Amino acid sequence: MLRQDINELLTRTGPGTPMGELFRQYWMPACLAEELPENDCPPVRLKLLSERLIAFRDSDGRYGLIDEFCAHRGASLWFGRNEDGGLRCPYHGWKYDVTGQCVEVPSEADNSSFCQNVKLTAYPLVKIGDILWTFMGDPAEQPPLPEFEFALVPPEQTYTSKRLQQCNWLQAFEGGIDSSHVTFLHSGGLKNDPLFKGAKGNEYNQNDKKPFFEVADSDGGLFVGARRNAEDGKYYWRITPWVMPCFTMVPPRGDHPIHGHFWIPIDDENCWAYSFDYHPVRALTAAERQAMIDGHGVHSENIPGTYRPLANRDNDYLMDREKQRAGEYYSGIKGIAIQDASLQESMGPIADRTKERLVPADAGIIKARQKLRKAAIALRDHGTTPPGVDPEHHRVRSAAVVLPQAEAFLDACKDDVRVNPGMPIASV
Amino acid sequence: MATQAFVDPNLPSSCARAATAAEARYRIQRPVAPARAPRIIALDGGAVEIVRRAAALQWANARFYACESIDGTVTLRGIEGHPATLADELASADVVVMIATDDGGAGCAHTIGKACWQRSIMTAGLVVSDDDAADRAVAALRPHARVLLPGADESDVVDLLTALRA
Repeated sequence: MLRQDINELLTRTGPGTPMGELFRQYWMPACLAEELPENDCPPVRLKLLSERLIAFRDSDGRYGLIDEFCAHRGASLWFGRNEDGGLRCPYHGWKYDVTGQCVEVPSEADNSSFCQNVKLTAYPLVKIGDILWTFMGDPAEQPPLPEFEFALVPPEQTYTSKRLQQCNWLQAFEGGIDSSHVTFLHSGGLKNDPLFKGAKGNEYNQNDKKPFFEVADSDGGLFVGARRNAEDGKYYWRITPWVMPCFTMVPPRGDHPIHGHFWIPIDDENCWAYSFDYHPVRALTAAERQAMIDGHGVHSENIPGTYRPLANRDNDYLMDREKQRAGEYYSGIKGIAIQDASLQESMGPIADRTKERLVPADAGIIKARQKLRKAAIALRDHGTTPPGVDPEHHRVRSAAVVLPQAEAFLDACKDDVRVNPGMPIASV
Repeated sequence: MATQAFVDPNLPSSCARAATAAEARYRIQRPVAPARAPRIIALDGGAVEIVRRAAALQWANARFYACESIDGTVTLRGIEGHPATLADELASADVVVMIATDDGGAGCAHTIGKACWQRSIMTAGLVVSDDDAADRAVAALRPHARVLLPGADESDVVDLLTALRA
């Protein structure tokens, strides 16, 4: 359980809230690069941390992320004309550049300096990998750019998607560091999903449904180790890194690409689930990439032209009770991503954690909540930079290994859980 | 006779309605019972002080102990000093949390962990140490603790017990 006041602290991410301020210390995904595919393309309406924003790409290819609403009469700039180096409001022709600076007010005299004093709130927008990243904090405190491996490997080695998730960010994120649900909820996927099946580690998952857990601090967050029995008295460890506030990686399976997530608050009742796959030492195969596009693995099949999953709460996630009975989909829901999302959304827009009955196996979640709470309060009260801001903290990997019983997983895997460019990931 | 209009059973879907804030009001408002019988055991002298401070807070059913090993037999002592036997305390426990700060209680950790395992009692081990002073305790806890937090800090003890409704 979690006290209501702490639940509020951790789940509210709007302007001026402690957790909202914590998120503003980090670079985070704002949208996919594919959403602004060319110069002067249509602007994209976004909501992040409960702020309504517009992303656009100007005539020179510069990316901008600005207040959605024109400074004049408050019309939405989603209707804006993206032309000649700026976004023009079609209502009266006011024009803004990517920094939010007003550069034209047609109703004013030609030599007027009026527009120089008009500037919309704007945040940087930087393309790294398949993602446009933003930093919504104080520009004077802007940290170095993020260094997550999936975004830095060559484009042929990585793929990122996103989907709308209609619940608070925290309950979505908590699913990402909960290794014990895999054996049940995703048991069908371990057998059937082209991006999961066939790995030796899947056998250990299926054969031992009662993992032991170790939760260890890392510089940027946590490493959660889930231990299951393997052969010859050894243990199979799946090591999940969490980098604050909302990045996780799924431990790998065989030579499959490695999966991971960000959960980005849209507002307090919705988030974007970013999912990525990458391979550190080879290109994704055409079959792998197509499987991701088709919604396999941690990705979702979305309504064409949108980022809303085809299976969503408005159609009961296309529940198939026959396949549930047959075990093809343990919950009756197709797709690993939607298997997670359906249950997380069912917890309500903001989960009421005063009603939870946690068990020791939830220690990773308990610890993560503690770290988030402490970091938010330290930032609020003392201005302390939270863990995970330093890009050195981003250079982590997940791992899946078999170890002798007596070995501590982090001692044995300290090199495996650090990025070593060009070297294979530790995987079973 | 008018024909009854067909209603698609999926629209509006039960999930769409059930997951709204408005429907959350209709979840049953019944207090959740605390954990039945959590036992918190300090494995060494440093842990005793941590457990003593935790015990001073308000809990539902948690009981707090120190332990010692005499000739290979582990005995418990309530944090206020009353004697107890491991077997009796485990007979009614549903979760055991062991706290270590150094290697002094490694033998106790092994014995208690094994006894819990034999009785199917869930266990958690918290090692409150910033260095390798408790490596043997970690190793002793590892085979039997369902959850192990090496490198924990004192607030982890309270946060874990709170989360478990101890």
